[in-house]
Amino acid sequence: MATIDNNLVNGLAALVLLAAFALVASQRMQTIVRVFALQSLALGLLAACVAYITGYSHIYIVAALTIVLKALLIPRILTYVMQRIQVTKEVEPSVNTPSSLLIAGALAVVAYYVTEPLIMVGTSITKNVLALSLAVLLIGLFVMITRRKAITQVIGLLVMENGLFMAAISITYGMPLIVELGIFFDVLVAVLIMGVFVFRIKGTFETLDTSFLRRLRD
Amino acid sequence: MVNLPLAIIQAVVLVSIAPLVTGIIRKLKALLQSRRGPPIWQPYYDLQKLFRKDSIVSHDASWLTRITPFVCMTAMLLAALLVPAFTTSSLGFLGDLIVLVYLFAMFRFFMALAALDAGSAFGGMGSSREMMVSSVIEPAILMAIFSTALLTGTTDLSGIANTLATSGWELVVPSLFLGFGAFFIALLAENARVPVDNPATHLELTMIHEGMLLEYSGKDLALMELSSMMKLVLFLAIAWSAFFPWGIATQLTLGSVALGLLVFALKLIALVVVIALIESSMAKMRLFKLPNLLTVSFILAFLAVMSFYVL
Repeated sequence: MATIDNNLVNGLAALVLLAAFALVASQRMQTIVRVFALQSLALGLLAACVAYITGYSHIYIVAALTIVLKALLIPRILTYVMQRIQVTKEVEPSVNTPSSLLIAGALAVVAYYVTEPLIMVGTSITKNVLALSLAVLLIGLFVMITRRKAITQVIGLLVMENGLFMAAISITYGMPLIVELGIFFDVLVAVLIMGVFVFRIKGTFETLDTSFLRRLRD
Repeated sequence: MVNLPLAIIQAVVLVSIAPLVTGIIRKLKALLQSRRGPPIWQPYYDLQKLFRKDSIVSHDASWLTRITPFVCMTAMLLAALLVPAFTTSSLGFLGDLIVLVYLFAMFRFFMALAALDAGSAFGGMGSSREMMVSSVIEPAILMAIFSTALLTGTTDLSGIANTLATSGWELVVPSLFLGFGAFFIALLAENARVPVDNPATHLELTMIHEGMLLEYSGKDLALMELSSMMKLVLFLAIAWSAFFPWGIATQLTLGSVALGLLVFALKLIALVVVIALIESSMAKMRLFKLPNLLTVSFILAFLAVMSFYVL
């Protein structure tokens, strides 16, 4: 019985990591947002599984919030922004797709080596997930660095946040509820503000390529 | 517990259903595109017709062109003996997964050589493209296979199928799914399906696999076509038995073999439907975009191996 639970948790964690790789591989905005929604859904289910196994009821609330906010609301907002400013495709990222994927794979290996000592001494049932969550975090950072459009960079940030959330769940079964609520509110407001910001970038430069922001001088 | 007659029956079944699987894919594709389509037995009629015709070989062609159809067919027949499809009682102990991968590599190598042999421009183009695709996809296949070999502790395919099929839920781990995904993309690439190649086209600029068969006719063409169809079925069988063999017959009783046959038929149909859906809903990728897809396959396989160690 325990192994089934474990396999389920591990499987969902692997799905979250897989979604991060899918983000690196995809070029279309709509796909990127959908993949992010899927990743958040997997993360919410992972949290629900952990809640079920450990019996901590506050994790259920966190799981529900993850699914409602990150898998439904934020993708809705991002889609709305995209439709308003009519952007569908990412410009060619600064590193091409095959090399990005290979670099992401290398990042996953780095994450594994860095977290291995921690995993050895860990006691929680989900300790193995830590390596994957660090990998998701690094890949989110990598997406933010290599993509040029503002929206993809926002999604990179959200993916990093997902990685952090998964790390918190995996080591300590989640942060205290009040902290989690604060983070959710933070993320939501951040997305709203960045949405407005994206409108302004589009309005000023007629493009979402953030490299144009270097032209800002006073 | 290898039963020689059963292993041979299994190989015969794999050979004889190969054209049927291709026929079903074509029929499904036609139905999805609101066409009536040829009957699912059409590939058999085609092969029958081709086998009755003489083959014509170019004056410039050497012995390579003559022997290639036989080499390819032999490689596939050997592979059919090694692959467990509906029963784990195959001759897997004679050759493990790595031998199997190299049998497929031999098939491809000779086909590419024969395409160069006749000296036609399209053959050369086809073989250079095929080699490009295979150089990226072969590491992915090996890596995907290693993930399941690591999990079960053997590289013998019937051993893998046996271990997985007789174990319970504790072996249903993420690396199986990741490896299956990687292998499925590799399957599409190896068997010249959309989005890597379009099996229905003879359009000069895009073809990969068909370009290599242009010089063949008559009996030789029939052999090449049949071995390509067999390759598809073998890949489908490996995909199921290496990653999700549940339902395969592990005992020699009549009941378990019958169940194995039924489950195998259902599994084949499931993948065939997926292939038909992909072929109807996706366009063929541009050649220079292909490494993107193929690297995805490699990364999936890599993650499968990694998640075996991490999780």
